[in-house]
Amino acid sequence: MTAHAVARLDELPPGTRKIVEVDGRSIGVFNVGGRLHALRNTCPHQGAPLCLGTVGGTMADGAPGQYVPAREGEILTCPWHGWEFDLTTGRSLVDPARTRVRAYEVTVDGDAVILHA
Amino acid sequence: MSIIDTDVHPNPRNADEIRKHLPAPWRDGFAMPRRPFYHNPIHANRLDATPPGGGPAASDPDFLREQLMGTYGIRHPILIPRTFANIHPNPDYGSAVATAFNAWLAETWLEAYNDDGAFKGSITINHHDPLAAAAEIDRWADHPHMVQVVTDSGARAPLGQRQYYPIYEACERHGLPFAMHPGTDGIGGNTLPTPGVPTHYIEYHCGMSLAFQAHLLSFLTEGVFERFPTLRIALLEGGVAWLAPLLWRLDAYWRALRKDTPWITRPPSEYLDEHVRLSTQPLERPGRDEHLLALFDAVGAERVLMFSSDYPHWDFDSPTRAFPSSMPDPLRQRIMHDTAAELYGL
Repeated sequence: MTAHAVARLDELPPGTRKIVEVDGRSIGVFNVGGRLHALRNTCPHQGAPLCLGTVGGTMADGAPGQYVPAREGEILTCPWHGWEFDLTTGRSLVDPARTRVRAYEVTVDGDAVILHA
Repeated sequence: MSIIDTDVHPNPRNADEIRKHLPAPWRDGFAMPRRPFYHNPIHANRLDATPPGGGPAASDPDFLREQLMGTYGIRHPILIPRTFANIHPNPDYGSAVATAFNAWLAETWLEAYNDDGAFKGSITINHHDPLAAAAEIDRWADHPHMVQVVTDSGARAPLGQRQYYPIYEACERHGLPFAMHPGTDGIGGNTLPTPGVPTHYIEYHCGMSLAFQAHLLSFLTEGVFERFPTLRIALLEGGVAWLAPLLWRLDAYWRALRKDTPWITRPPSEYLDEHVRLSTQPLERPGRDEHLLALFDAVGAERVLMFSSDYPHWDFDSPTRAFPSSMPDPLRQRIMHDTAAELYGL
């Protein structure tokens, strides 16, 4: 695990993302409402560039016919087949134990966004 | 490995690219067609397929070449515009829309964008007017890059019935395969193969394979391949894994009910093997790969299956990731290239 300065904080305001290359790995760094997340930019399903997907929420498990919006800003949806991943853990919503993508720690040091990868 | 992708959807940059090929009175009212409901609630196209310079997905030939052909080594994308020519109550309008899309495809993707001849096209027809459809096939059949006839699986009757035979006569006359692709099921007066109307997109989309099963039963039992012995049919985006059990049922019923359709002189599965090809996307992936490979083996996958990606649509199948890694290389070669090369003469 190495600390990589991958952006200045003002380059990554809330609602934006940056795709970076670190030691041959493509990683997406996200700022969602001031919280920073980083995930490997490869969907485990068919290899899509996962971090080009939509950041938003999902629907909570519910009774038939009920839609309960949930977890706004915590879900990354794959740009190809729509599989949903938890931005904080990299785990998919439908199969969290086995279908997951690597999540990395992101910290801020002064003005620098530090990716630990 | 050289790959032929049998289901790629180019889009016009805007409605004017189609409108300019429409005569009065159709020109003024034309808008780009789409289904009025059953929209994918997530996204309809791969989000990364939007061209960097703007415009709809798969409207920029350079970006399509980079993203599809460059990334995966696809040599020939078989182009199938999403025309929805079969949703219009007025058959003359539907046929005019088909003609306009054919003229657009020929002018752009098959000519202006096609210096190397990589792009191969499909002649769109409106099956609500079989005589006009046959004339449309005659109009484009000699085009050097048109390799098949295509229509929507959403229809008003099973496509093996005799009112459609002018279409198959024209296909046979020109040696062109007849392909069907989902899109208009349950819309524009076209029936759905379900008992009633589904509620959700997931229900509609998963059920699209039912239409292909119904049309295939019609082709096989009406004796279409006895009447048109050189006709070839491509079932595009209709699913694959259902085929083996359907043929097992049909062959079994044929043994018992042969005199109901005495023109069927061989087990129906033999007609399928000779006349019908299926594209693979969206490929079913059961939890255990050996289950899928067993179904492949049961239908002679090395003869009947052709790779397709469905680019740029959301359920794109990657040539490198969609199939079990344990699939034998000779079978992979047949599916990724050889069977389509034989069907389309490439």
